Amino acid sequence: MIAENTQIQMRKGILEYCVLSIISRGEIYASDIIAELRSAKLLVVEGTLYPLLTRLKNNGLLSYNWVESTSGPPRKYYTLTEVGKDILSQLDQTWQELAYAVGVSQEGAKS
Amino acid sequence: MEKTIIINIGNTIIHIEESAYELLKVYLNEVKQHFINHADDLEIVTDIENRIAELLTEQLEAQKKQVVDVNDVNLVIAQMGRVQDFDGVEENEEEPVLNTNYQFQADKKLYRDMDERVIAGVCAGIAHYINTEAKWIRLAALLSVFLGGAGFLVYAILWIIMPKAKSRIERMEMKGEPANLQGFQKNLDEELLAVKQGLAIAGKHTGSIFGQIGIFIGEFFEWLGRFISGTGKVVFKVIAGLIVLFGVLFMLSLIVGFAAFQGFWDSSVYEYFPFSIIDEGNRGVILFSAFIVFFIPVLALVLFSIRFAFNKQAINKTLSFPLLIIWLAGVATAGYHAAKISSEFKQHAELTQSNDLKSYKTYIIDIDRSKYFSKEDSLKYNINPDNRRQIVTDDFDNGPFVAPYNIRINVEKSENTASRLIQKYESQGKTFQRALQNAQNIDYNYHLKDSTILFNPRFQLRKGTIWRNQEVWLNLEVPVGTRLIFKEDAYRYINNWGTWDCSDKEGDENGYSTWIMTEEGLKCIAQLKEEALNKKKLQLELRELELSKKMRTTDSTFQDSVLSRMKEVKEELGIKPEENTDNQ
Repeated sequence: MIAENTQIQMRKGILEYCVLSIISRGEIYASDIIAELRSAKLLVVEGTLYPLLTRLKNNGLLSYNWVESTSGPPRKYYTLTEVGKDILSQLDQTWQELAYAVGVSQEGAKS
Repeated sequence: MEKTIIINIGNTIIHIEESAYELLKVYLNEVKQHFINHADDLEIVTDIENRIAELLTEQLEAQKKQVVDVNDVNLVIAQMGRVQDFDGVEENEEEPVLNTNYQFQADKKLYRDMDERVIAGVCAGIAHYINTEAKWIRLAALLSVFLGGAGFLVYAILWIIMPKAKSRIERMEMKGEPANLQGFQKNLDEELLAVKQGLAIAGKHTGSIFGQIGIFIGEFFEWLGRFISGTGKVVFKVIAGLIVLFGVLFMLSLIVGFAAFQGFWDSSVYEYFPFSIIDEGNRGVILFSAFIVFFIPVLALVLFSIRFAFNKQAINKTLSFPLLIIWLAGVATAGYHAAKISSEFKQHAELTQSNDLKSYKTYIIDIDRSKYFSKEDSLKYNINPDNRRQIVTDDFDNGPFVAPYNIRINVEKSENTASRLIQKYESQGKTFQRALQNAQNIDYNYHLKDSTILFNPRFQLRKGTIWRNQEVWLNLEVPVGTRLIFKEDAYRYINNWGTWDCSDKEGDENGYSTWIMTEEGLKCIAQLKEEALNKKKLQLELRELELSKKMRTTDSTFQDSVLSRMKEVKEELGIKPEENTDNQ
């Protein structure tokens, strides 16, 4: 139970960073993000993604375009805004630091 | 086969099976509930709905089908994720699962439980609503029925106002199960299990004798319904078949009758009563319209029955309208003629002819029982007047001339000493002139032979005259003291005397009855004799009583009985009680 809780916290922490990273590679549709995340074995269901995307968009990190679809309603294609890109680079920085921190804590500092 | 519903999701029109729709509805409700406290709930839900619409459309295209079923919805739910899986990604201020459960738990609704019903599921529904076992409610209902029958009424009202729990969601609302996806799945699984177990469903719901009876009653009613819709239909079809059969027979007889009346076979039918009122000129028109008036409704009934019995349209619909028009025209024509004919009965006229009779002490009145034959008739029936062995009689009880043609005889007291016979011919007509003419066209004969008056029992109308309620009255006026002998059944034509009162035994045997004209009117001689005899007896008794009164004057009880009997006898004799009886 405690392990599970921690796992959830860890996933949660990196999910936002991963999503931003995927979007930073170019304009992308929500379900394609899911596919990417799934291949990265990070996320299972789509339902989780929509609130996240909405929040990121409302915080000015993302913007979207309506694109007509051959099947079903028009789709929202997301891109990073300048703010988003800025934040992503900050997160990149943070991730480097975290990876270092984890590495060091596991193997000891290489002096 | 399943009912499909058309839904609009994410601005996309999708056909979906009812069960799949319910599942999807529950899922979306859950999603909405989950995000209800989220700042951007509308946008998120819209995004999810759009995505679901897209997924469903893709699946339909991939499988080349048109309707979404439960499997498709389940796949979509698997891809979108359950509400429980949403947790932990976005932080919510409140615990969402608890929230949803709370929201739905409150929604317990009153439905009739069709799965656990005995009659209509009212008791089971109430039991679900107030969280008890159905048997207690049923027991209460049963007791209330015994307590005066109000239970029946209440049950009937509840039956009417409580809706059936038809869909799965309704059943879940009834049982108070949370109408979320979990509950839904649970309910579905339960049902599947029950179906798989087949008859085991009975055991699951019952266990008690009460439930067993319920299942029996339920099955009985189901059987009854099937019987009515199955066998009942057959019965109706048989009835329709019979209507067709008899209708066709009736139509055929109408055609035959019509042809007959048109004169193909025998025109003598026009001498019978209902047809005798129709004059010759309009006969064809009236008959034809009457034929139409009867024929077309029968035809319509037969055609309708054919349609019902054989599921076949026997006639083109465009033909039924002209038929109606023809029928209405027939009704109008028949109505016009009926009014016209009835107007010809408006005026009344009578023709009186008085004949003095030779005075006799006794008249013999007889009815001429032989038929009057004209020369043509004699030739027709090959009657040879020289052949004495041939006797022709006419049974006029069964003859063609019924009541309207019979004569009526009145026997009355003459004012003077002469006897006479007054013939009165009566008739109706459109005008007085016409009525008089109709009366004049009555042909009637009687024969006088010494003191015998031979009446013809009926009169005839001259050719060309139609029946307008013509009547012949024969008033025989004889002075007081004249005897009349009625031969055989002549009394039947006597209008003013109930001849059954005359118990003339001697006369009955000889086939006659003797009557006498008195100051009070016609009297039967046998009856007079009897009356005289009776009077004599009474007078004799009175004399005896007066004698016995003088004896035993001290015995008061004897005196009283004698006095009361005297009073009775005097009353019968018509003697007024004496004034001095009170003093004695």
